[in-house]
Amino acid sequence: MNPIVPSRRDFLKGAAAAAAAGVVPMSFVKLAFADPAQDFTFAYISDAHIQHISGSKFVRNWDRGLIRAVAETNLLTPKPDFVMFGGDLGQLGMKEELDHGAEIMSKLRYKTHYVMGEHDYYLDLGEYWSKLFGPHWHSFDHKGVHFVVLNSVLTYDEWTYNRWPSAEERMLQMAGLDNPNGSPFMVGEKQRAWLKADLDKVAKTTPVVVFSHSPLQKLYKGWNFWTDDAEEVQAILAPFEKVNVIYGHVHQIQYNQVGNISFNAVMATAWPWPYPNTYAQAQHTMPVLTVPMNRADPFFERDATGWQFIDVHTGRVALKYNLYNNTARTVAWNPATGKPEDTVFQDPSKRVPPQVHY
Amino acid sequence: MKRKIAVALAAAVVLAVVGGIAIQADEFTKKDQERWEKEYMSVVQKGRELWTSPQLGTNGVACAQCHPNGANTHPETYPKFQQQLGRVIALREMINWCIQQPLEGKPLALDSKDMVALETYVAYERRGVPLAPGKH
Amino acid sequence: MKRTLFGLVVAAGLAATAVLAADATPAKPPLGLPPVPIPAENLQTPEKVALGDKLFDDKRFSATGQVACATCHDSKKAFTDSPLRTSEGIKKGGKALTGTRNAPTVVNSAYFAVQFWDGRSPSLEDQSQHPFINPVEMGLKDHQPILKIVRSDPAYVKAFEQVFGKKGAQVTMKEVMQAIAAFERTKVSGNTPFDRYFYAGESGALTDAQKRGFDLYVNKGRCVSCHRIEQTQALFTDNRFHNIGVGINDIQKDVPVLAGEFLQAKATLAEVDVKVLGDKRTSELGRFAISRDFEGLGAFKTPTLRNAAVTSPYMHDGSLKTLKDVVVHYNNGGVTKEGDPVNDFLSGGIRPLNLTEAEIDDLVSFMEALTSPEFASLPSAARMEVKP
Repeated sequence: MNPIVPSRRDFLKGAAAAAAAGVVPMSFVKLAFADPAQDFTFAYISDAHIQHISGSKFVRNWDRGLIRAVAETNLLTPKPDFVMFGGDLGQLGMKEELDHGAEIMSKLRYKTHYVMGEHDYYLDLGEYWSKLFGPHWHSFDHKGVHFVVLNSVLTYDEWTYNRWPSAEERMLQMAGLDNPNGSPFMVGEKQRAWLKADLDKVAKTTPVVVFSHSPLQKLYKGWNFWTDDAEEVQAILAPFEKVNVIYGHVHQIQYNQVGNISFNAVMATAWPWPYPNTYAQAQHTMPVLTVPMNRADPFFERDATGWQFIDVHTGRVALKYNLYNNTARTVAWNPATGKPEDTVFQDPSKRVPPQVHY
Repeated sequence: MKRKIAVALAAAVVLAVVGGIAIQADEFTKKDQERWEKEYMSVVQKGRELWTSPQLGTNGVACAQCHPNGANTHPETYPKFQQQLGRVIALREMINWCIQQPLEGKPLALDSKDMVALETYVAYERRGVPLAPGKH
Repeated sequence: MKRTLFGLVVAAGLAATAVLAADATPAKPPLGLPPVPIPAENLQTPEKVALGDKLFDDKRFSATGQVACATCHDSKKAFTDSPLRTSEGIKKGGKALTGTRNAPTVVNSAYFAVQFWDGRSPSLEDQSQHPFINPVEMGLKDHQPILKIVRSDPAYVKAFEQVFGKKGAQVTMKEVMQAIAAFERTKVSGNTPFDRYFYAGESGALTDAQKRGFDLYVNKGRCVSCHRIEQTQALFTDNRFHNIGVGINDIQKDVPVLAGEFLQAKATLAEVDVKVLGDKRTSELGRFAISRDFEGLGAFKTPTLRNAAVTSPYMHDGSLKTLKDVVVHYNNGGVTKEGDPVNDFLSGGIRPLNLTEAEIDDLVSFMEALTSPEFASLPSAARMEVKP
């Protein structure tokens, strides 16, 4: 029987911990498009990539990103209803990394739901992760919105079970974003069946928010900004009036509208990734809609990283990016155009030089 | 006698070129080009290995973690005024900056084989992009 | 013969003055500095500068008649009040009141985009009005006593009319502020041993230790990214705000309450000015008190390093006594005592540096090379030992 370290016990108790008195009132950003009746907010922290070096040493850079996100989330007012963690808590799925990440996350004062990322999954196929964080996919309802958590980083069985001589090797291979020996992400038949059954019980007018690590779109295969069965998943979501997909993995601002589904990417707390259109040899289908994040200054390790909180207004999400060393950005549903838009920079004449990526 | 030697030499030249060996300084054959291309790609490959290696620095971070396929390195803009160093530099100086800062490692000698390999890889992944020296 | 020469010199001097008066563009900047930014609505003239100097020195603009701008920005101390940690204003009950912040030098302040450690003032002009009415600085209730003096004192009356063409009630704080700012814009100095080495190619201008220190400054020490040196000039500041872990550790646990109280108060800029100088714990919020942005928590403006060796102590709260203390703080990765916890809001640019003792000393040596000739005779604080 493994002894449970005190920090892990604290972490498991975290949801029950009382919120501290005294928080920062924040009329953070005025939403131009929202109805006067404000529903609720939740915070979203993602892609921490806690990376083990040796012994009790972890890459300080990524630690600091997560620590700061947690500290700032704790300052939010009004208090968020819950926190999502968007996947890739660890870098190589190691127990040390998941434990260290869980310890940092345990400082959060709110209930937290976790999404699986490939960097968490491919060492032991999420076995230890489940002990810490629960099921790989599930759904819950909150204030009239139906939330779904998917594990969208699965891949072909052959690659997962037969290709590699060891679990460590499999994890290393999946860990390289640009690794030609990688394998495309997918939700998979089993989960799609579960999703369909789950959504069958939900009214078509109920707003649906899907949390996934991979984009549930086909953006750029070379870096696995990709979900192989995106069309099938989108088809399952098609009958619903208001669908929002929030995904991690890409470490950059992205947003898009496909049919009835609004897509929003969240920032990483660890490091930013380039946009696929900056890779000269890439052929990609990146959403044109996106106004890119500012290019990072590598001296400031937290530049182009951050976390976000999400306002759910009458079933549509407004995603407020809290960006370190940068002006905050808000991407909100515009009812006039029927798609998510940046509240300041969508108009091309309002763009600033750091938003040019090449 | 001279004429015979001249003819023999001319024949030898013809034979030599036909045999795939150019013996004039300004000539090279398709086989030469193929061989040199392979030599080149071997260094591109070495650069790729270093690019993805956790051993370049001291904390296990690899270049490819932030720069998949060498993206967002802009080799075509060098030499440029590098804001982080406050002066105009060549690409390899920025590579060294990254090795020292996010990778917490020791800088490479500017003429080291590893540095050349890293630059080779970066430029290879950026092939086709026009020069834009100084562009920020 | 002498008289004629003298006459010629005087004539030349007058002619030069006349040229200066007619031409409001500034003289060539010192070596290593760009041209001083001058706002179009407040051009420089020698008379305006002289008026500003007089206002700067005038102790009557305080509640006790004892404190002028020059008290905390003393020209004999490179326009600081070194070695005071925080500035001492008017006396109450025999003891000088003090605030929370370390008086920065006026020298080269013209190059800052905003003024004060937290950037709450958009210009030199605006900045100059606040200390007069701050309770722990000059202690006036409002600017009326100043206006009374400048509108009635014959020397001022003459000067304001000459410089601005205004008299009586037309003379307002705007003219006072403009004159003070114009004076401050003449306080620029470069031409340091570093400038001569880097921009004039004098390879002997730096000692070997200083050259090693310069290499560290740009590479291992990482200083150059915030304390900017560029290809043709060096301001030694990036005009931005960073949390480098000074002071905030004292209030880390209280941040949610403090920040909340502060935001709820919805203070005006003048009230902010009083609060940040009057209350140490609020002061440590730094830029956040102005921007109300998470990004500003515990963040302060990057000061220039020019003349740092003679303007100790250091940091917004004057808490670091010597340049060596400063380098050690950075070497520890943003904590003053090694092993102290790093605050959650630390700027992404700050991390442990792994410098050796010798490297720390070399960096300190380099910073001594940033002192302009006009201040070179002042005692250097670089060499004092770190307190245990």
